[in-house]
Amino acid sequence: MMPRYEQLEHTADLALRIYGQDLSELFANAAYAMFCQLADLEHIGLSMQRHVRVEGTDYESLLVNWLNELIYLHETRGEVYSSFDIHELSPQGLQATVSGERSEDIHTIIKAATFHDLAIHGTDSGYEATIVLDV
Amino acid sequence: MVSKKELKRIEDYLWEIPLGYRSDMRVPARIYADDVLLEAALQDRSIVQLINTACLPGVVKYTLAMPDIHQGYGPPIGGVAAMEIEEGVISPGAVGYDINCGVRLMSSALEAEQIKPLMGEIVHALYDRVPSGVGRGGDVRLSRRDMDDVLERGSGWVVAQGYGTKDDLEHTEERGALAGARVSAISDRAKERGSRQLGTLGAGNHFVEVGEVVDIYDEEVAQQFGLFRGQLVLWIHTGSRGLGHQVCTDYVKSMQQAVTKYGIRLPDRELVCAPINSPEGQEYVAAMACAANYAWANRQMLMHRVRMTMDDVLAPHFKDRAFKLVYDIAHNIAKVEDFVINGRTTKLVVHRKGATRSFGPGHPALPADYRAVGQPVLVVGTMGTASYVMVGTAEAAEKSFASSCHGAGRVMSRRAAQRQVRAEELQGRLAQQGITIRGRWKGLAEEAPEAYKDIDRVVNVVHKAGLARKVARTVPLGVIKG
Repeated sequence: MMPRYEQLEHTADLALRIYGQDLSELFANAAYAMFCQLADLEHIGLSMQRHVRVEGTDYESLLVNWLNELIYLHETRGEVYSSFDIHELSPQGLQATVSGERSEDIHTIIKAATFHDLAIHGTDSGYEATIVLDV
Repeated sequence: MVSKKELKRIEDYLWEIPLGYRSDMRVPARIYADDVLLEAALQDRSIVQLINTACLPGVVKYTLAMPDIHQGYGPPIGGVAAMEIEEGVISPGAVGYDINCGVRLMSSALEAEQIKPLMGEIVHALYDRVPSGVGRGGDVRLSRRDMDDVLERGSGWVVAQGYGTKDDLEHTEERGALAGARVSAISDRAKERGSRQLGTLGAGNHFVEVGEVVDIYDEEVAQQFGLFRGQLVLWIHTGSRGLGHQVCTDYVKSMQQAVTKYGIRLPDRELVCAPINSPEGQEYVAAMACAANYAWANRQMLMHRVRMTMDDVLAPHFKDRAFKLVYDIAHNIAKVEDFVINGRTTKLVVHRKGATRSFGPGHPALPADYRAVGQPVLVVGTMGTASYVMVGTAEAAEKSFASSCHGAGRVMSRRAAQRQVRAEELQGRLAQQGITIRGRWKGLAEEAPEAYKDIDRVVNVVHKAGLARKVARTVPLGVIKG
């Protein structure tokens, strides 16, 4: 089975390679990978749902904006999300429902998702993206 | 990756990637390093990032890497790029997400030896009373009006609330408030992220350290800075917290369109930028100043907590404590400063990302008591190694846009550090060296001393290259990490 993501070497920050059979799965796995760095998702329940809408100019900017939207919600609401259901996805916009719960058991502060070295590629088995998070 | 043979050695500690190495470079890229530090810089993508930064419109003379350079996003950490005001751009990614991350140093009237028996109590009290770590807000909740005041007035607002002195402001870069801050440039989201974080440390490499001055290299300057051998000192390292992170996020996003509008071609989208004199550029300048002011207010508030805590613990034992701010400096910021370019005094916007300002003697921006000797340049090490107080030089203006290094610089990824270091073992090892540490296990392992370069080597390069001179060396006795 294709892994959802892997962590790459980066001297100071967090670099993640994300995989997905299609773009919706890629976006969901990117969010999952990011929250895996923040908390132990096995212990996060799904009692809270939030509807999320994000705009972009292309898939790359949409991916950065999506992750930064979730960082903002996480930091201001004190919530951790572990399930990501993408309803609509185009280069200009994304709609999703994210599920999780309030948690104080957090490992790391992620300041932001960056555009650095960001690229979304089609592969034989779907899509992959590399993203650098400032920690 | 760039190889060593493609670099030209300009001076003993200065290397250059010449113009033309890549066709999109506008100026050469220069690296201050010795052979060992250069090898370290060549191991990751930091030099490529420095070259990318040399492609930005309006960049002047050369982009620079300090000897603590390492890979970041956009420019490298330890990178300096100066732009002309008329033709140049300002780049939020070249300042970074933690706007005005910086350091302050407090001196005291105490000998470190006297307080060593109390170190356990001190570290415990600091860990208890300084809000740190992830998800931990402070006990200050700012009203909307207070928030606006913090953004416009920085440290001055905190001092006006009774949390500090006028002398603290005198010894803070920009007196703790950058001009040009305009609250309307800040999103509600940024304010929301900052509303409960004033006076908090955060996580990552941020810390409060109780240290001892062990070496003095320049007696006259040390005396001027109020430092003496054997002295108890305190370091505070933090920045603008979620507010600054959101400001950078907001402007990296909005400037994606500006790049198209102004026809700017970039080798890395994280270097997104806008002409300094454009409406987009000016809006970021106003927002960055607000975030910088929040960071200074944050460090002022934190220092107040640290002072109160130290006073509470030490008052029963020592009458004369006198915790005084030596200086506070930013190391992630863009500043408008005057430099002589082609014989003419020119205003430049100097981006310093993981780099410290290093003004020499006589500079009008320095507080009156330091003007004759130069600006304190504060270089912080790890929880197990030394930190340095240096002093700015006149020649740094010509060599490095008056910039110097900011720390040791990472050499090992966080993941590798977690694999190689067990936090319990690290705590025990540091305890044997007489250093008490408190923090979360994961954060401690990631920030282990072996994840960083040798700070003594970094500082020696800076000293020998003339970017700043060594004044004093401190070692940690107690550290609290976020």
